[in-house]
Amino acid sequence: MAVQETKLLTEHYDKNEFQGLQGYLKFGGYEDLKKALKMQPQAVIDEVKASGLRGRGGAGFPTGVKWGFLPKNNEDRYLLCNADEGEPGTFKDRMMMERAPHQLIEGMIISAFAVNSKKSYIYIRGEYDDSIAIVAKAIKEAYEAGFLGKNILGSGFDHDMDVYKGAGAYICGEETGMISSLEGFKGQPKLKPPFPAIQGYLKKPTIVNNVETLAAVKYIIRDGAQAYRKYGTEKSPGTKLFSVSGNVMRPGNYEVPLGTSLKDLIYEYCGGLRPGRKLKAVIPGGSSAPVLTAEEAMKVNMDYESLAQAGSMLGSGAVIVIDDSNCMVDLLDVTLHFYHHESCGQCTPCREGTGWISKITHSIKNGEGTVKDIDLIKAVSEHMMGKTICALSDAAAMPAISFVTKFRDEFEYFVKEGRSKVKEVAHA
Amino acid sequence: MSYQVKRTEATSNWYLPGILTGLGFTFRKMISNLLHPKDMPTLNYPEEKYQYGPRFKGNHVLTVRKDGSIRCTACMLCATNCPADCIKITAAENEDPSVEKYPISYEIDVLRCVFCGFCEEACPVDAIRMGPEWQTAALNGSNFAYDIQQLAYRPQLKGGVRSVVDDQERHHAGI
Amino acid sequence: MPKCTINGKEVEVPQGASIIEAFKAMGEDICHYCWHPGLSVAGVCRLCMVQIEGIPKLQIACNTEVKDGMVITNQSEQVKDTVKWGLDFHLINHPLDCPICDQAGECGLQDQYMQYGKYDPEMAEKKVKKHKVVDLGPTIVLDSERCILCSRCVRFTEEVSQTNELGIFNRGDRSEIGTVDGKPLDNNYSLNTVDICPVGALTSKDFRFRQRVWYLKDSDSICPGCSTGCNVKVYFNEEGLWRVKPRYNAEVNGHWMCDVGRDTYKYVNKRARLLKVRAGQAEYWEDKEVFSAVMEAGRDLRESAEKNPNSVAVVMTGQYTNEEFKEFFDFAAGELKLTRFYHWMNDPAHAEDFDGLLYRGDKNPNTNGLKAEAKTHGGFKSFEDLQANLGGLETILVLGPENQSQFDDIKEKVEMFGKAKKVIWLTACGSEEINALRAPSVQIPMKTYIEKAGSFTNYKGLVQEFKRGTTIVEDALTLSEVVTLFRGHELDYKNRPQPLGGTKKNHFTEIRGQL
Repeated sequence: MAVQETKLLTEHYDKNEFQGLQGYLKFGGYEDLKKALKMQPQAVIDEVKASGLRGRGGAGFPTGVKWGFLPKNNEDRYLLCNADEGEPGTFKDRMMMERAPHQLIEGMIISAFAVNSKKSYIYIRGEYDDSIAIVAKAIKEAYEAGFLGKNILGSGFDHDMDVYKGAGAYICGEETGMISSLEGFKGQPKLKPPFPAIQGYLKKPTIVNNVETLAAVKYIIRDGAQAYRKYGTEKSPGTKLFSVSGNVMRPGNYEVPLGTSLKDLIYEYCGGLRPGRKLKAVIPGGSSAPVLTAEEAMKVNMDYESLAQAGSMLGSGAVIVIDDSNCMVDLLDVTLHFYHHESCGQCTPCREGTGWISKITHSIKNGEGTVKDIDLIKAVSEHMMGKTICALSDAAAMPAISFVTKFRDEFEYFVKEGRSKVKEVAHA
Repeated sequence: MSYQVKRTEATSNWYLPGILTGLGFTFRKMISNLLHPKDMPTLNYPEEKYQYGPRFKGNHVLTVRKDGSIRCTACMLCATNCPADCIKITAAENEDPSVEKYPISYEIDVLRCVFCGFCEEACPVDAIRMGPEWQTAALNGSNFAYDIQQLAYRPQLKGGVRSVVDDQERHHAGI
Repeated sequence: MPKCTINGKEVEVPQGASIIEAFKAMGEDICHYCWHPGLSVAGVCRLCMVQIEGIPKLQIACNTEVKDGMVITNQSEQVKDTVKWGLDFHLINHPLDCPICDQAGECGLQDQYMQYGKYDPEMAEKKVKKHKVVDLGPTIVLDSERCILCSRCVRFTEEVSQTNELGIFNRGDRSEIGTVDGKPLDNNYSLNTVDICPVGALTSKDFRFRQRVWYLKDSDSICPGCSTGCNVKVYFNEEGLWRVKPRYNAEVNGHWMCDVGRDTYKYVNKRARLLKVRAGQAEYWEDKEVFSAVMEAGRDLRESAEKNPNSVAVVMTGQYTNEEFKEFFDFAAGELKLTRFYHWMNDPAHAEDFDGLLYRGDKNPNTNGLKAEAKTHGGFKSFEDLQANLGGLETILVLGPENQSQFDDIKEKVEMFGKAKKVIWLTACGSEEINALRAPSVQIPMKTYIEKAGSFTNYKGLVQEFKRGTTIVEDALTLSEVVTLFRGHELDYKNRPQPLGGTKKNHFTEIRGQL
């Protein structure tokens, strides 16, 4: 029995015309922009702060607080929309950009107005050719209709927006990595301090926000902060789009209030597992989040606090459901191969460590591992955490530690028997 | 503690008994050697030669790789470790990038060498060993400055002693 | 001026200093690779971790500013464990190249590993293989496997030499240093990257495989290549001078020196030098024992000067120390009452040239010292004056240059000087050009800059003192010794500096008895 989703952002996604400007306007598009332009920029920031909106890209940092870090001077500011969506398992931003590009654009103009930014960029990952074309077309339509450019709707606020295409690097989803890429350099993260809000793109104050966060700003302005707070929990207000994939009957994007239990999400919304299969593990927030065993998964709610308490994280909200037909060693091998490939190579613990644990896991998968190797994965990962410029190292280490700790029996079986406990795995 | 040896035997204190005891020992030995020549510890060199153990430190041997080229990488650890300062090496660049460095001149002044074996211990790639030969003679002092030809390719080595540590295998194994 | 406590000791640092600068100022040990005082902060090696009281996570010392009252330590268990593993991460893909690597003995990895390291390596997987012996340019060879990607060389070409030739290609552990757009690493400061590279990834083609560094002794000196007077360290042993590296001096050269100055070691070694006095002319030269020949030349000089001081011309180059010039002028102008002094500069038109960083057009280290000394003794005359009076000249005394390759007009000058009746040429190196002198001449071997102590005055007027490093040619003389011999006095032969002894080649085996 499919449960009704909460349709806040995704209310009109089922209508094809919502993608174009005419269809968007029909359903109340750009009304909230008009409303926001009549407010004071600081009032917009206060409204967003009051709503408790947290960054939907993965870190969960309160958006209003982030906007408050900007210096109170007249320097040029930049607003950057992070549509890189590199976290494995996440595909919500793609849907948002393809179904409702104007929603994002309106949210961005409102946010830009709030932070007094004259120029913004939407950084879309290079693999999303369709999204790039659709968003670019939408921006053109917005310019023609006067929602972008000089003196928007007569308010005196100028704003320019551009799409920037990435080129296939997960590390460009990290905010300073994205800034480096936009500046034309290699997409390598910069040292923090100085933080982007003080010195970011072209050394000017910069705000980097996720697609979903910026789109949500529109609805906060439309309904007010308190109405937004009606959804979700005290500390994690609002709705979130969860990209559920893996061994469920109906994988896809689901907009539900934060605080929904993971059990409901999998069994009610997504129709549960395939017949005859038992749940083994769930990765709740993209491959960087520590994995939860089936027992842990049934007890946890999908909000920032509950998952943090369970030892994992909400992250980007990409839920990967794993049933008992999958081999955890194989899964870890694929995950670590990804991080090894995507490490930018600047700092040594990540550059060498991701390669090392990936190679160890691969040896175990090839039947050449020893029991010491399992402990070695844990030791190396622990020493990779917290020592690097950005969080890719932590993102690689956390799943490694959690897999090896919670599913140690599968690793030990592989080492002893030379094959998987569960199924035939392909050897590369 | 000081030892006080008191010699009280007549054979040590008195002149004639002392001489006669010593001479008696000599003649006893002479007669036993005549009667049992096989018990003599003397070796009739050069017909009989002493057989040294496998770790005997004799003339140096520079080992070679599988293809016959010198194994030494001219790291100069042997020259540094040598207490007699008798090894002189000049390094050069090898065109083969997997070999990279090799000695174009490796001289050991055998007259200075004390045959301690420190060079063998210091070598990280099993390039120099102390071989079993020990009785090389020459007519001129300068003949005792052994070069690579003599250390690695002299006729007694029959084309070169193969080294145990092989770089090609190491590269292949990914070390 | 914020105060902070480092490892229990209090220190005051200038405003804006980072923690690692405070450590260095105190002389405390801290493990680091990518930080360099002359370059911007990269923060990529992640080894300079410190524990700051009140902050649970370890911070890197190179990018954290010292705030008043900070309590910093790098001796806690957490820090030591982090540094141990950090070094291990650097080593897991590092090749086993110590025997063939030039950096052995002065290698950052070797030194810091011996001090901090995890001595039991646990990496049992295949190492990443990259390119070896990559030709980066006319002076440098790269070995990508040894590179620890500290990015010092890349930052150097961006910030110091500003030629942007190097970059890091690929990503992750496949990253390699390479030249951008196929442009070779070819600028006048390229060998500084070899100095700053903490491992043996970048090696100098010039020095490659020639000597092991633990056989070399070092001494501080001043580079004689041009009038900047960069502070250098010279490395030598009993076989000669092997290389020259820069020394830090905040006023003169910072942390760097140019490649041309590094080549000065070539003319110092015995093969290029004049070993004995060479007397004769054009094709007929014979070697003579030094001290008696010089005294004889001095006698002739004194006689000519007594007869007519204007028949002796002295051509000087700014390549000798201030002390030597003083003594020489006291003798020549004071005692002999000579008045004909000529200043031979390598290229007066381009003497003020400056390439923006360190290299100047005036290739003499002590032009200012010479000019200052000459001013008090009547100053110089021009070369046209010399040309005009060549016929009447008895003797020309030439204080020749050490680095003759920078004096392009040497052939013409030899032609000119050959027209006098006698030439006394003081030079460190023999050369074919000087051997073409037409007039009966005496070439006197001189000591080079590492063999004497003294001071040079650089282009700005800064007087820099330096000490003697070693002696390469025993019989060569300093200018002061030449003056003493010219005066007719004997030198203190027993106390003259000796070259380094020790076994050289096995030459003594040839002098052993024959059967």
